[in-house]
Amino acid sequence: MTNSAQAVPILEVRELCKSYDEGRIEALRGVDLTITAGEFVAISGPSGSGKSTLLQLIGGLDTPTSGQVLFQNSLLGTAVDLDTYRSHHVGFIFQGFYLMPTLRAIENVQVPMLASNGHAKDRAQRAEALLVEMGLGNRLRQYPNELSGGERQRVAIARALANSPTILLADEPTGNLDSANSARILTMLVDLQKRRGMTLIVVTHENDIANAAPRHIRIRDGRVEGVAP
Amino acid sequence: MAPQLSFAWFAWRNLWRRRLRTLLTLCGIGMAIGAFVALVGFSRSFEQEWLKLYESSGTDIAVVQKTFFNTSVDESAGTKLRSLPVVARATPMILNMMDITPEINALTYGWKADSYELDSLTFKSGRRFRDGQPELILGDLLASNLNKTAGDTLTIQGANFTVTGVYHGGSALEASAVILPLDQLQQIASLQGKVTAFHVRLRPAPAGDSAQHYLETAEAQIEAALPDLRAVPAAERASNNQLVTMAHAAAWGTSSIALLMGILGIANTMAMSVFERTREIGILRALGWRRWKVLLLIQTEAAVLGLAGGILGLAFGWGAMRVLSRLPQTASIVSAAFPPILLLEALGAAILAGLIAGAIPAWRGAHLSPVEALRHD
Repeated sequence: MTNSAQAVPILEVRELCKSYDEGRIEALRGVDLTITAGEFVAISGPSGSGKSTLLQLIGGLDTPTSGQVLFQNSLLGTAVDLDTYRSHHVGFIFQGFYLMPTLRAIENVQVPMLASNGHAKDRAQRAEALLVEMGLGNRLRQYPNELSGGERQRVAIARALANSPTILLADEPTGNLDSANSARILTMLVDLQKRRGMTLIVVTHENDIANAAPRHIRIRDGRVEGVAP
Repeated sequence: MAPQLSFAWFAWRNLWRRRLRTLLTLCGIGMAIGAFVALVGFSRSFEQEWLKLYESSGTDIAVVQKTFFNTSVDESAGTKLRSLPVVARATPMILNMMDITPEINALTYGWKADSYELDSLTFKSGRRFRDGQPELILGDLLASNLNKTAGDTLTIQGANFTVTGVYHGGSALEASAVILPLDQLQQIASLQGKVTAFHVRLRPAPAGDSAQHYLETAEAQIEAALPDLRAVPAAERASNNQLVTMAHAAAWGTSSIALLMGILGIANTMAMSVFERTREIGILRALGWRRWKVLLLIQTEAAVLGLAGGILGLAFGWGAMRVLSRLPQTASIVSAAFPPILLLEALGAAILAGLIAGAIPAWRGAHLSPVEALRHD
């Protein structure tokens, strides 16, 4: 990535607050953050710190109680429709993989592509290419329960990439994996981010991932506690 | 070739996940549609048989009392009727339903021996009956069910009749009927001098006059000459007599209840399915599926359930109609004919039932918050 490309903000978070239970629980208390295009950012913090809530708001899964999230200088939920944002610009990876149990690996990767129009054959070819890229070329027809944890997460990553998002959001992507698989998934994500020039935001409590990210944001009690470097 | 995922396949896989529940739901909607097909088919078939009855005999108009079941038309009205210029033939008749044996009841006609309607029957054995004689003729299906042939004796209402012939008629209503001399039926039914209707064959329409206009003119002439009676075109008589109307009403009423039960079955299945898949719906939303797409998926599942149940129901209904058309108790009023329009109506009703049943679960699913749905266990 060039310096000029890195300087372009893709996401800006301004005074972001999120509360639940009629204000009794404050998950986020005024977070400000700017993330540039193609950046790899790790967000960490103890349980209940608000890091997953921040990821959900950045990903357009939820709306803030107050404050703003801007994607490419446009306000999410107003100037940018959340459904369009999720289907075209964002890819999600979850700790629990969340694959459809009734679908084969290659069919799972096609699910996001069903959100928009296109030919079934093209969808299948793209899904196959993504799974091959994830090293799962021989596991296309397997159902999730026939795959190992690491393989499932690689299918989930392929699914997240299905609509060619500009931002990849991962919530504890290695939380359910052993150390060997965790390392492989981390390497894969970093490699993807570099090769594709994607913005990668990972919520984690694991030091290995946090240390691998050029920028590491620590959250505590709904506030940004520190940013490294 | 890499497996392709289509929207419909995705919906089907969701349904097939809970096979037993899906199959039980299919049976439920299948039984409902089967009841619809059998009952509505039965009533339609009944109407068709009435129409065939008039068409095969060449009857243009039936002259009846205002109420169908009454056998209260004065037989003497025939003289005035026959004197009208438009009337070629007018034959009195009685229609009744009688217990022939404890198990078998049959449509019983009283006709004159010179009735033109007898000309439409094909005699398979024997001969016609004679007026004033204790004789009768049997439709071939009824004769078979009763195990009677020409020359045998049949007792009706305590009176013995000789079976003089076995005939084949153009309608199931005739195939399972017994026809005896009008005077004999009047006697055993204590209806001397009374008939149910006069069946009228009109003279050919004058050149240049349309068939419809001529029919209306004839109706008007008959009703002017016999103001206490109604002249009803045969087609209207077939579709709009009280027996057919009652059959339609009973069929639609009963099948509506069956369909309601089917709808409740699908609604329950879809509600359970949406609840169980709450997190998956959240994932779909996280992956960029819009609300309407989620709604469409759930409605597609409901419609597929309805359609598959409908196909099953068509098989049930077709089987039921085949059985009904062979049972001695019902063979006289139903044929196994399966009108194509009924097939379309049944499948339409099945899909509609699915869509109605899926509407609320689909709306609920589509309006789940992605974050709340993802938190669901």
